[in-house]
Amino acid sequence: MNQRNVQSVPAGWMDGLGQRLIRHAARRAPESLSQRLQEEWLADWTVRTSAMSRLRFALGCCWATRVIALEFQPSGVLVASPAVAGKWVSVLSQHGAGYFSRRSGTLFIVTSLHALLFYGLITTVTHIHVSATDPLQNRPLTHPDPQTLPIPVAKPSLTHVAIHVPPIDQELWRETDQGTGVTIISEPPPLIPPSPPQPVKQVLGGPGAGFPNTDDFYPPQSRRLDEQGIGTVQVCVDANGRLTADPRMLQGTGSARLDDGALKLARAGSGHYRATTENGRPVNSCYAFRVRFQLTP
Amino acid sequence: MGKKERDVRMSLQTLKVLEAFLESPTEQLSGADVHLRCGIASGTLYPILLRLESAGWFVSQWESIDPSSVGRPRRRLYRLTSTGLRRAGEVFASFNRGVLA
Repeated sequence: MNQRNVQSVPAGWMDGLGQRLIRHAARRAPESLSQRLQEEWLADWTVRTSAMSRLRFALGCCWATRVIALEFQPSGVLVASPAVAGKWVSVLSQHGAGYFSRRSGTLFIVTSLHALLFYGLITTVTHIHVSATDPLQNRPLTHPDPQTLPIPVAKPSLTHVAIHVPPIDQELWRETDQGTGVTIISEPPPLIPPSPPQPVKQVLGGPGAGFPNTDDFYPPQSRRLDEQGIGTVQVCVDANGRLTADPRMLQGTGSARLDDGALKLARAGSGHYRATTENGRPVNSCYAFRVRFQLTP
Repeated sequence: MGKKERDVRMSLQTLKVLEAFLESPTEQLSGADVHLRCGIASGTLYPILLRLESAGWFVSQWESIDPSSVGRPRRRLYRLTSTGLRRAGEVFASFNRGVLA
């Protein structure tokens, strides 16, 4: 080989890099092939026309070295298939004891972690086994006396309930029961006493204009028997003077016939009652009035 | 390299390399020549050449030139062996049968 000629190839920085890559790749090849591959690749490298093509060629040689190192052992014997064992032998032969130590360290750490995990698993399983087998004993089942059994008492569930009063402008009072946790939000007592209610001027109603005449409802039989009497009838009327309920006798006349006549009079007067007024405004009300049945001489 | 005949795993790139040599079976080709004929990159080409040489399909030798007088380094030249020629013919014949069958 003529190294001088190879070195004399004009090259820029890419060519210099390419040559260094080729030499580096050849050194990583199996020892029996290293010198041959370097010379062969450098010779073929000069055939490439462009600097970029030569650089690609050099990079390809780096990849070729990896493939060749996997397929060929240092003795130059072809490994039929790039199996794991072949990789181990090839890699170990290239990297030496330092690499082996690093791998050994990694293997040791992984093994230690597995051992630690296995120890923890075994310890936990043993503990569970002991605690599970201890209470398993043959004991006759006995029925407990219902009298001695404690009465189950449901545990009250305390929940935080907020009773909320619509907010006002004044400051709210809050009271919290420490036992139940119930918070009562209420208004403070009014600072200004409420004004006293205004007096209502009420005028009770009674039979009004057009009310029927009492004589028209004097029972004829009572006339013949000279029955006389005074009774009190209660009526409930609306603002228009109409009955809202059937009238009833509050105090009888002493004669059933006269009482019946008084009720008929009260019914007939519906619409002719004077409504009770409050501050001059007619309202619904109930009141009583007296009916006198008296025979004129 | 070992000269013992071995089975070679056939790939598309390997077939391209064999095809380049079968065009003129007696011709000696360097890696650069094979690259120019079939366009296989160096990272794939040289392992194939070494694999076929190890299997006994190829033999290789240095180019018999004087680098100082020629002005370029000598090249490594590969050539089909009789075994390689026979096996390569069988491989392509089997492919043809498979295609034409």
